[in-house]
Amino acid sequence: MKWATRRHCHVDRTACAWLIQRFVDPDPEFRFVDDPDDVPADATAFDMRGVALGHHGDRCSFESFLRTYDLTEPALQDIGRIVHEADIGDDLYDAPEAPGLDVLIRGASMVAADDEQLLALTGPLFDGLLEYFRRSHLHEVET
Amino acid sequence: MTGRLDWVLLAYRLPREPSGPRVTVWRKLRRLGVAQLVDGLVALPADARTREQLEWLADEVVDGGGEATIWVASPGTAAQERVLAAGMSKRVAAEYRTIIADAARAAGAGETERRRTLARLRRQLRRVGSRDYFPPAERAEARDAVERLAAQVIEATG
Repeated sequence: MKWATRRHCHVDRTACAWLIQRFVDPDPEFRFVDDPDDVPADATAFDMRGVALGHHGDRCSFESFLRTYDLTEPALQDIGRIVHEADIGDDLYDAPEAPGLDVLIRGASMVAADDEQLLALTGPLFDGLLEYFRRSHLHEVET
Repeated sequence: MTGRLDWVLLAYRLPREPSGPRVTVWRKLRRLGVAQLVDGLVALPADARTREQLEWLADEVVDGGGEATIWVASPGTAAQERVLAAGMSKRVAAEYRTIIADAARAAGAGETERRRTLARLRRQLRRVGSRDYFPPAERAEARDAVERLAAQVIEATG
């Protein structure tokens, strides 16, 4: 599938791209555009104005993905809270990890040549977060 | 301040009723620390983040049944820009002064209260810092005041 978003990704978009690859579309093709008019007709746009997979109400785009694709895994909800606070920072959630993630991804964007390279750097960070939070939920009884 | 900056402007109008979206938008504008130019027109110094934040808010205004447009502009004169920046700086200065006062008050309190206040003021510093586009002198003072409180807490722990 083709996916499109704005160039110069930060927390919300890198998190969404990772989520797409891990949980929605194993072989995604990403396009990074400067203007909403440049989104290819056959691509699904995310984290852009006026699209379903964007900010809605108090939700950031990553949270819109979780809801749209019915991704209810608790560890993903945990990551959603961190991405929300790193992106919006409205203190709706207690996510002390958020400023740290913000700095890590900002730093990655400084050494990455382009958005493709940035996603290659940030993907493993989110893999690590997922594993970390999965472990923290291990003891919970399955229902 | 030297040359004039690019500013991102949000021009918006929301129906008076229901009041829900109006309150939400107003709260978010305040959190962003916008300069209110006139009723329904707010401004922030433009960068990728501020522009994006106002664009999302524009969408929210439209979703709430209102109208919103985003503009990038620069003030007609440097003097006008100075007034704008000074007003924004003055508002965050007041927020920093509250932090300084709270830190001073906590210094005389018990250890538990000091710790609790320290954690709260650190969060508040971060919050105010995110809308501190034209830092006033009070910023350094507020940071110092919180660090003094932290030193006191650490010392008590031994």
